[in-house]
Amino acid sequence: MRDTTLKYVLVLPAILVVFATAIWPLIESLRLSFTVGRLNRPGSLDQYLGWENFTWAFTQEPAFWNSVWVTAVYTVLTVALTTILALGLAMLLAPGGKFRSGVQTLLILPFAMSPALIGVSFRFMFNPEFGLFDAFFGVMIPPLADVSWLADPVLAFAVCVMADVWGWIPFLTLVLIGGLASIPQDTIEAAQVDGASGWRVFKDVTLPQLAPVLAVVIILKSIFSLKTFDQIFMLTNGGPGTATQTLSHYIYFNGMKYGQIGYAASVAWLMVIPMIFLTYAYAKFVFRKD
Amino acid sequence: MTGKQKKQITRALQTALILIAIIIMLVPILWIFMAAFKSHVDVYQLKLFFTPTFENFGLVFDAPYYLGEKLVNSTIVAFVTVVLAVPIATMAAYSFSRFRLRGETAMLVIILATQFVPAVVIILPFFVMFRDVGLLDTRLGLILVNLAIVMPFAIWMIKGFIDGIPLDTEEAAMVDGSSRVQVIRNIVLPMAAPGLLTAGIFCFIIAWNEFLFALILTNKDAVTLPIGLALFKAEEGDLWNLLSAAGIIIMLPMFVLALIIRKYFVQGMTMGAVR
Repeated sequence: MRDTTLKYVLVLPAILVVFATAIWPLIESLRLSFTVGRLNRPGSLDQYLGWENFTWAFTQEPAFWNSVWVTAVYTVLTVALTTILALGLAMLLAPGGKFRSGVQTLLILPFAMSPALIGVSFRFMFNPEFGLFDAFFGVMIPPLADVSWLADPVLAFAVCVMADVWGWIPFLTLVLIGGLASIPQDTIEAAQVDGASGWRVFKDVTLPQLAPVLAVVIILKSIFSLKTFDQIFMLTNGGPGTATQTLSHYIYFNGMKYGQIGYAASVAWLMVIPMIFLTYAYAKFVFRKD
Repeated sequence: MTGKQKKQITRALQTALILIAIIIMLVPILWIFMAAFKSHVDVYQLKLFFTPTFENFGLVFDAPYYLGEKLVNSTIVAFVTVVLAVPIATMAAYSFSRFRLRGETAMLVIILATQFVPAVVIILPFFVMFRDVGLLDTRLGLILVNLAIVMPFAIWMIKGFIDGIPLDTEEAAMVDGSSRVQVIRNIVLPMAAPGLLTAGIFCFIIAWNEFLFALILTNKDAVTLPIGLALFKAEEGDLWNLLSAAGIIIMLPMFVLALIIRKYFVQGMTMGAVR
């Protein structure tokens, strides 16, 4: 076979798989979002409804706006906390050596843990009777000694954020260590010779050169934060009430528990829109050198 | 304070901070490990010292939990997903790496973008379709949707590995009269083998930990390990010793696999955006 034919034959199966498993469901979700779409009513999946699902979400559903709000706060908090803490840890670990490399290897472990299991683990850690973190916070911050973390709307949200940050710091740290390693050492040394303080070197030399990697990290983490489902499901299942109900969880509940698959699809598509912007930003970094 | 003293204090402070970070990172994992070896009496207390028992690991495989079935499901689903994804991804990755294709950038961007589509968007139409064709609660159905999340990673990661293989050996073999297919089989595949293995392990971990698809598509026969965790909720509350034992069965194999490919973990997750 000639190369000119072969090169298309080689990509064909992959394109077909991507089309069938990602593009088709996206389009079909969009179609469903304009239908009545009740799982228990045959034929309703083809019953055209116009924009009603969308207007319903915007005007009749406080729970929708609640999940938008929860997701937004959750994303901002987890992205900010994870990035800042991971940057700090990366600065501490970047110099290398036996001890620090060993720690870097350990960092892989939380990341290989399934998010669902992280959710379970944090529910365990914050159990009011025998949770280790619950006991720890009780001793350190006495007003929190007798609270039941997962029964309180604000504290349950805080636990969800903590679990997320805990799970993602290791990965972001490893990425940032890689980014720090690619900064030419002489620029930092030159600044130090000029007598700049450690903070000034970090702010004026390290940080600007790390900016592209930081941008990638922030975009990537935002995407994963917006999608969060597994941990929330295992940790609080959206509760107490709807205090920790993210968009993904809201869509899951409406689509699968209430069988309103048309409505769920329309909310799901609303979620795709910010993803498109983030993916566009991300793609720019991936293709910047080519 | 002299400069030397100042330096020593900084170093001690740094070491202390690193140690605190490790403790925070490892404590939830260690706590699960300990709980898995505690009897059901000890697990409901904040005990550091206890008589270890292996009974939890036996109990999770017995009635009514039958974790063994879930283990088999998880293994088959993750393994078949990888076996399908890696060869298909390798073919595409080679072509993307070595040839100029019409619409190549567009294809690569779309493949990249599909990775970021929320799983919950993908699963709604699949649920409807699988219900109609009888693929609900089957391993085959789960494998098909898992390809959606695994394929983009595999293509991008393997492309990165093939990009790193120098062209000259391939060109020399072509001059000597080998066909392109022979070159791929005899030269490229052996040289890319470590990369393919790495990508395979990476995809295996993703498929093994996958949660939302299995939650929606399975309820009895094809339930995987992460969904199986929900079994250990009893009327009197969570059975933490059994949950922990199941948790270890889920995470320990992944720890081993992740450590094998640790050098490439970051590259795999960022799809080459951080080099």
